[in-house]
Amino acid sequence: MTIHGLWVISKAGGLVFSRSYSDVLPPQPVNTILTLAGILHGIHAITAKLTPTPIPGVPVGGLESFEAEGWGGKVFLTPTGTKFVVLHSIPQTGLDELMKRIYEIYSDAVMKNPFHTPEMPINSSLFETKLQTLMSGVNA
Amino acid sequence: MSQAIGYSTTPPAGSSRFSSTSLYSTSQNPSSSTINNNPNPNRRESARSSIVPIQQQLFGGSTVQQQGNVNILDRSLNKTKNAEIALSTWAFLFAEVISYSQSRSDSIADLEKRLSTLGYDVGQRILSLLLLRNTQTSNLKDPKREHRLIPILQFVHTQIYKYVFGKPADGLERSSEAEDEYMLLLNESPLSQFISVPKDMSDLSCESFTAGLVEGVLDGLEVPARVTAHWVGDQYPDYPQRTVILIKLDQKVMDREESLGK
Repeated sequence: MTIHGLWVISKAGGLVFSRSYSDVLPPQPVNTILTLAGILHGIHAITAKLTPTPIPGVPVGGLESFEAEGWGGKVFLTPTGTKFVVLHSIPQTGLDELMKRIYEIYSDAVMKNPFHTPEMPINSSLFETKLQTLMSGVNA
Repeated sequence: MSQAIGYSTTPPAGSSRFSSTSLYSTSQNPSSSTINNNPNPNRRESARSSIVPIQQQLFGGSTVQQQGNVNILDRSLNKTKNAEIALSTWAFLFAEVISYSQSRSDSIADLEKRLSTLGYDVGQRILSLLLLRNTQTSNLKDPKREHRLIPILQFVHTQIYKYVFGKPADGLERSSEAEDEYMLLLNESPLSQFISVPKDMSDLSCESFTAGLVEGVLDGLEVPARVTAHWVGDQYPDYPQRTVILIKLDQKVMDREESLGK
């Protein structure tokens, strides 16, 4: 499995972080990725709304993954509404653990950083280095 | 200098002022003692009597009420000897401390000074606690306290760091350029390991808190020094968070060391 890229989408649907970790997918300009992330946020909201039998008291999850020819995406929703989207190759294994690791790195390097403003683009060198180490471990 | 700042800015200053007025007022200024001394015990008592019913209302049970009545000063000092708190708890608290200090300071130097002042108070308290505990565990009749420079620095390097961070500092070095400068090295500090300083504030070292802590301890051991923190991670690729705590000793200390001899 190769990880092609990672997006972090804020509660409001704005893209706060995006990195590419392979050169398989064609590179996109930042504005395109912003639009795509916004559309994904909308689709996620629609799928959450359409869930037929919501369990009372449990927050409704929406879109969890999508697949296309040769690649796919996995969406991880945190309890506070932040979304992590991993673009990966198919077949994929161990994505759930990877998502948990990303979430862990995010809570350590971003949420515990006093210089980060919530809902704003992530600008933390520590976050980037830790992710880079994780991704190169997976892609190796 | 930082001692004066420490007392003026921290919240507990109110309680210490209270005790000092009641101490001095009886002998030095009798007229003011009657004014100052009386309302305070009253207020304290009324506050306590009003707290208890609220606790009863809130918690009901008698056991909770008993626990609530134990003043923090009446609790056993050694009960929390091996207690630890989660690193995340500290990280979130420290992040909030930094944001708070940042919103109230106008420059990086000012922010570092604020953090250092907070650390200074922590250092003074830790020193008293550690010395007391060491005396209790070793020998009550023969209390030991370092008075020479090198043992004092080793005490900071080993015991203080071990108590605060769970492990001794990674190095204690003497500066090759100046005789009165010593350096404490820490490869990865638990205090600021989650913090990444933005590029426009690259001079800032959040380890100023540790520097203040060390300064507080040294001051308490009669070794006045100017302690600052410097990030040197760019020179050590293996340890990107390596920080040096630079101790610049007062001339007074150097003179004393010289007169004491070997």
